[in-house]
Amino acid sequence: MIGFASLMAGVVLLLLLVALAARDSREARIAQDDNAGAEMCPPEFVGQVFSRQDWEFIRGLRVPELAALFQQERKRVALVWVRQTSAMIQRVMREHAAAARQSRGVNFPTELKIWRQFLSLVLICGTLSLAIQIAGPRWLASLARVAQRLSEQMTNVQSALRPASPVSAGATGSE
Amino acid sequence: MDPTYNTATLEQAYDDLVRHSLAKISGDLARLIYLASTRDYNTGNYHHDGLAGQFPAEIACQALEMAHRQIFGRIAACPLERLVVEVEAYVNSSPQSRAEVLEVWQKLEPYRVALPLNVNIAVAQLFISNIKLALAVLRHRRERKAAGPSAS
Repeated sequence: MIGFASLMAGVVLLLLLVALAARDSREARIAQDDNAGAEMCPPEFVGQVFSRQDWEFIRGLRVPELAALFQQERKRVALVWVRQTSAMIQRVMREHAAAARQSRGVNFPTELKIWRQFLSLVLICGTLSLAIQIAGPRWLASLARVAQRLSEQMTNVQSALRPASPVSAGATGSE
Repeated sequence: MDPTYNTATLEQAYDDLVRHSLAKISGDLARLIYLASTRDYNTGNYHHDGLAGQFPAEIACQALEMAHRQIFGRIAACPLERLVVEVEAYVNSSPQSRAEVLEVWQKLEPYRVALPLNVNIAVAQLFISNIKLALAVLRHRRERKAAGPSAS
């Protein structure tokens, strides 16, 4: 009985995360229509958004209004980053899927790896989005680093595959 | 034009800008505001009389843009505590009263025009948010000081 309840809770949580990620990416797409070609946010800035050092500074001032303003501001910026990352990986996957459709020689292990990374990122972005909204970003630096690293890897793999992917005069396809 | 020549000239123009103009300005925030003020609001092109007299206009524009992006990146990535010091130094260097500058900066948010063109949206938000927080910290300190030593 407990097992079934846990399973149901897991399914509900997963659906919630997927719905959240889908909503975020939709919002991000709307917000970033003018910024579609934007590159990824450099890691040092991501570190800053999730930094505990800044929180310690504000907390040290012992002013509740400043602490509240800090939390509200960092939450907002962190969500912008999550939505941006989410939109970027969706765009990378759309481009990749379009290229793969035109490719004759699709390498399944590579494809599988890319899709696995994509799904992990969707899940991580959903989790981050939810956790930021509930608890704020300052506890989530490690998860943000994982998302940053994975999205970098994914973008790199996709750009490495890009020249070989399209059919372009009967190419042998991607590796 | 030879791209190697262009790169070398761009480096020279950049060095010239750093040594002659930016070195005289104290603090990265003041440098950022200065560089943003050399940009035309309508075209997005930068112009600096001194540099334009020594280098081709396009090179001078690129050198200014490069310096703008570099200093913006430094400020956007700096810890909040250091940014508060930067903002305080900038406010204190202004001929207007400290209270006036703080109020105008909080209301009009003029620092928004200091963003380089096509900057990453999350980095832009982090910069704006951090300046907002730094201003709130300074305002709080000023109010506490005005309230006297009895205030906590």
